Amino acid sequence: MAEATEHGGALTLPLLPDSEVEAVRAAGRLAGEIGLSADKVDEMAHAIVEACINAREHSGSRDGLVRIDIAKCGAGGAAIRIRVSDCGGGFDPAPASRRAAGRRGRGLAMIEALMDEISVESGPGGTNVLMVKYAGRSRS
Amino acid sequence: VTESLNVRVDRREGIAIVYTEGYINNQGGEEIARMSYELLDSGYRMLLLNLAGTKIVNSIGISILIEIIEKTIEIGGKLGFCSLTPTIGKTFQIMGLTQYAAIYPDEQSAVAAMTP
Repeated sequence: MAEATEHGGALTLPLLPDSEVEAVRAAGRLAGEIGLSADKVDEMAHAIVEACINAREHSGSRDGLVRIDIAKCGAGGAAIRIRVSDCGGGFDPAPASRRAAGRRGRGLAMIEALMDEISVESGPGGTNVLMVKYAGRSRS
Repeated sequence: VTESLNVRVDRREGIAIVYTEGYINNQGGEEIARMSYELLDSGYRMLLLNLAGTKIVNSIGISILIEIIEKTIEIGGKLGFCSLTPTIGKTFQIMGLTQYAAIYPDEQSAVAAMTP
């Protein structure tokens, strides 16, 4: 996973419907700075929305908040890295478990398909979804 | 991206076209469902959703769209989509929506394919 080279902003948002729109706007501003194409911005936006919804719907967060960190990363800052974190009870990110959740459990599959890199850490202390989108190339 | 969704309908002979503008989330999906069920109740069996004005559809919105498709098929109707962004097309595929509904590149080709 690419390291952050320049911090682009941090947001703490309530786990309420549509709060994800704020995160999309913030990431969109940084995406413009690194020259992400319109299609890639759209893909990143959908991934952020799904990560926030995942936190809202499945985390059972103790503080009712989701944290979003946005940073430039990669050589010359040619990528954007987004971390979506919550303090919930965690979930099993394995594909079999997600399938069991039915239609409402496909957010992570969407994120995987739309971002170039993704890692998910989830446990009793909470969940971190780390995602990277490169300006100049497709997924590695 | 905006939080709200505007929906309008063009009722034509044999087909109703639903235009969306804005974010299709839970609330937006419910608004499309309300409009679609109203059209089905009034006798329409061919529904086309033109999403040219929508840039983001979340997974909850997609679940609601699948419910509308299932209900439409159940009463012998057909629902199609047109004018999707490439990303929305990709998410529809991931969510399995393309198994139940046809996707057309634009409104003209959709209307031609869906009306006799």
